[in-house]
Amino acid sequence: NIQWLGNHIDGASVSRYQDLQKEVSDLTQAEEKLDELITKCNLQLRLLTEDTQNKKYPLDLRKSFDSPDQLVMVIRAPPETEMQVSEPCEGYQVSLKSTQGPIDVFLCPEDSSGVC
Amino acid sequence: IGLPTNSAQECQSLEVERQRRLERIKQKQSQLQELILQQIAFKRLVQRNRSAEQQAGRAPPPNSVINLPFIIVNTSKRTVIDCSISNDKFEYLFNFDNMFEIHDDVEVLKRMGMSCGLEVGCCSPEDLKEARTLVPRALEPYVTEMATGPISNVYITGASSTNG
Repeated sequence: NIQWLGNHIDGASVSRYQDLQKEVSDLTQAEEKLDELITKCNLQLRLLTEDTQNKKYPLDLRKSFDSPDQLVMVIRAPPETEMQVSEPCEGYQVSLKSTQGPIDVFLCPEDSSGVC
Repeated sequence: IGLPTNSAQECQSLEVERQRRLERIKQKQSQLQELILQQIAFKRLVQRNRSAEQQAGRAPPPNSVINLPFIIVNTSKRTVIDCSISNDKFEYLFNFDNMFEIHDDVEVLKRMGMSCGLEVGCCSPEDLKEARTLVPRALEPYVTEMATGPISNVYITGASSTNG
């Protein structure tokens, strides 16, 4: 990638230009490498989570989400469900809208007194 | 400067291009980092649950487990929650009289320590060793880097002025 830089130019500018060119080409390579790794990672993760063997081993929340003074609500919703949270100044509101199936909401089973 | 105008412009547009790429790379690095964390956390969860099941000799009762993916909303036990649900359960509306927090399942896995402390760059040698076994070889250098802090410079060789 050769560029004509003119006749009366000082060496500093030329080397600045060349440095930039080199840097941009290094960055291009770095970005391509990242793109490739991200694609691979996404695929890997999808294969992992879609594996029925793995689906057999879900999360045991009771042991893992310890919450003595907290109420913990679990929401399981189909893909593409929309969740909207209001601005705090307008009150504390959450709305859920699904198009593909019902949404399940339940309390973390450490406390059996239901709210919903 | 002593450059003809178009060359000075050329330099400037290269500079812009360089900045743009640096920003994109930064963003993609954190995306990759997140994906690596998810992969490690998920694999560790599966391993842990599998060995727990083997030890207990049976699967945990269905009502004590949650399948991924999910979202958690937590709030104080004193918070009053007003909840309306449509008949088909396709729509929900919650009103809280106090603050609440929303966490995704990945966040929960991290809290459980499933990501080996990698998310905060604080990882014991044993954790790091285990984490490295859970990712493909190409990602191992990233995991090593994450063990000591967020990824910043990996693979941007020759670009010493990355932060400039």
